[in-house]
Amino acid sequence: MSLTYISHINALIRARVERTPKLVCYGQNITAGSCLSGLTRDLKPGPDSRVINTQNSEYTLIGLGFGLMMRGVSGIYFMKQQDFLLFGLDHLVNTWNVVRTLNPSASYTALSIVVDSGYEGPQSRLNNFADFCSMARVQGYAITNHDDAAIVLDRHLVAPGFRLIGVSQRLFRETPLHFDGAAAADPAGTVVRYAGGTDATIVCFNFSLPQGAGLHRALATSRISASLFSAPGMLIDDWSAILADVGRTRRLVILDDSRSSHKTSQQLELAARRAGAADTIVVRERSAADQVFAPNADTFTVDAAGVARELGRKA
Amino acid sequence: MARPNEAEWALAADVLRVRLSQLLINEGLKRREFKVPVHLALGHEAIATAVSAAMGTPDALCLTHRNLHYNLARGSSLAAEIAELRLETSGVSGGAMGCMNMINPKAGIPYSSSILGNCLSVSTGVALASTVTRDGSVTFVATGDGAIEEGSFWETLEFHKSFALPAIVVVENNGWAMWTKIDERRCPIDIASAAKAFDAPYVRLAGNDVVAYAETLSRLRDGMTGKPGPVVVEVALSTLGDIHVPVAGGAPRYVNYHHGPAPETTLADWPVLRESDADPVFALTQRFDRDRLQALARSLRAELDPQCR
Repeated sequence: MSLTYISHINALIRARVERTPKLVCYGQNITAGSCLSGLTRDLKPGPDSRVINTQNSEYTLIGLGFGLMMRGVSGIYFMKQQDFLLFGLDHLVNTWNVVRTLNPSASYTALSIVVDSGYEGPQSRLNNFADFCSMARVQGYAITNHDDAAIVLDRHLVAPGFRLIGVSQRLFRETPLHFDGAAAADPAGTVVRYAGGTDATIVCFNFSLPQGAGLHRALATSRISASLFSAPGMLIDDWSAILADVGRTRRLVILDDSRSSHKTSQQLELAARRAGAADTIVVRERSAADQVFAPNADTFTVDAAGVARELGRKA
Repeated sequence: MARPNEAEWALAADVLRVRLSQLLINEGLKRREFKVPVHLALGHEAIATAVSAAMGTPDALCLTHRNLHYNLARGSSLAAEIAELRLETSGVSGGAMGCMNMINPKAGIPYSSSILGNCLSVSTGVALASTVTRDGSVTFVATGDGAIEEGSFWETLEFHKSFALPAIVVVENNGWAMWTKIDERRCPIDIASAAKAFDAPYVRLAGNDVVAYAETLSRLRDGMTGKPGPVVVEVALSTLGDIHVPVAGGAPRYVNYHHGPAPETTLADWPVLRESDADPVFALTQRFDRDRLQALARSLRAELDPQCR
């Protein structure tokens, strides 16, 4: 069977779970049926650990992880849809505010599927990962490809403290993008660089790296050599790696496929403008016209030719 | 009734200490000494003392915003509680939590929440952890009759039952939620039937007899070893410190105490607030010698007064 985005992530999770002691993996149907479309298939507990199917009580299940943490036990809550995280916002904000002051040594990760695949209808279409992170002031990581999956899951799936991890349902059956070891993360693991260029800097937010990689290839055919970054982190304080690159290329391209009105990408744009790092800034994000609530394909496309034209102009 | 033994006198002393400590805090509230919101629990001393007495060394107690009495019962000094209310580093929680989130993990209180129903769901994780660490702990979680209106109450019972977790859910039923009586706001909820729906044992405590409460809770706690699973304990109590609120053009409205100072409640060496078993201190006189209780109260007052400075 060929490697898919979700089978790759599943393999990384399984390996980590099996070797982690005192860990409780839990969630609805994580050991039954499709196992969340393969995300949690064949999870086996490590020493003194448990893997359990639970009831449908998201508010309580989010709080449960913090209770485990307080008693020195780590937890991973696997969630079928990030929409369900809305039930647990109180715990994300209020409970975490208490627990974080205790500097817990245990790990707690809420790993959810962002249903960005379209055709769900007016509901089950939430694609606002960064908003959860902003409200709770908790770090989140979006997994978009073969390489950042390893970076994010190795560093953050089990680590002291609490974080959110999101995976894209749209990408589940895709062959994951692979950068042959070229991916290099910053120390915080919030920014990853995939390629260097001289004429432009492409930075991809949320789950837009596939579109960014496509743009990177298309610009190359137009003889525009671009650097390629993604920002898996949802809360980023340090833009220095990206701004240094933009300082050389003087042209910044920002892609963001989230639905938030307060995007992480806007902070990069602001930082670049304040630093005077770019002569040209091109932004591609979902427009108000994209906010169609009837079932639809919900795709995020980037017009490479248009971007190339804008890059040719001075700001 | 047999003469109280030493352990029972210790329970009586704790009830008096928790009451006097709260009355002293109330005097500070009247003087506006604290910036953090404070929810006194006058009238809740018997259940807090009994829960503390029933807890084993590894046990955990998850609390609500009304947690002063449990923190005091678990051994926090009045000085440490007042320091916490003043946000000083010598406070129970190092001055980092204030009143509504006051915790004392070393004394078995890992969590208190100011959000209605929040501590219930956290208790599921605390209890589940005991099945991983195998530390033999039982999780106590306190809530109120207002919080059982939240979905988390039902979700929590379901989870505790589904995974046979060693948990004792204590519902402090004072019949009020903030400034409204329960029957002014919602339909009755039969907590015994709720427990039965989850096939969980149910026990009702009433009368504020701290010795009987402690015996019952200890029996329930020890029973968790052989047969884990949640037990629901409903405690009938009155939150004392009630007030009469002026109403324009009408008679003053009687309301139950909710938070802040209890302005009509005064500090006295013999700290009975109501001459009935609605008052846990008065209830002590039905089992213990009144003269000796009053002497004990005076002695405790002498210990506590200096801690307020």
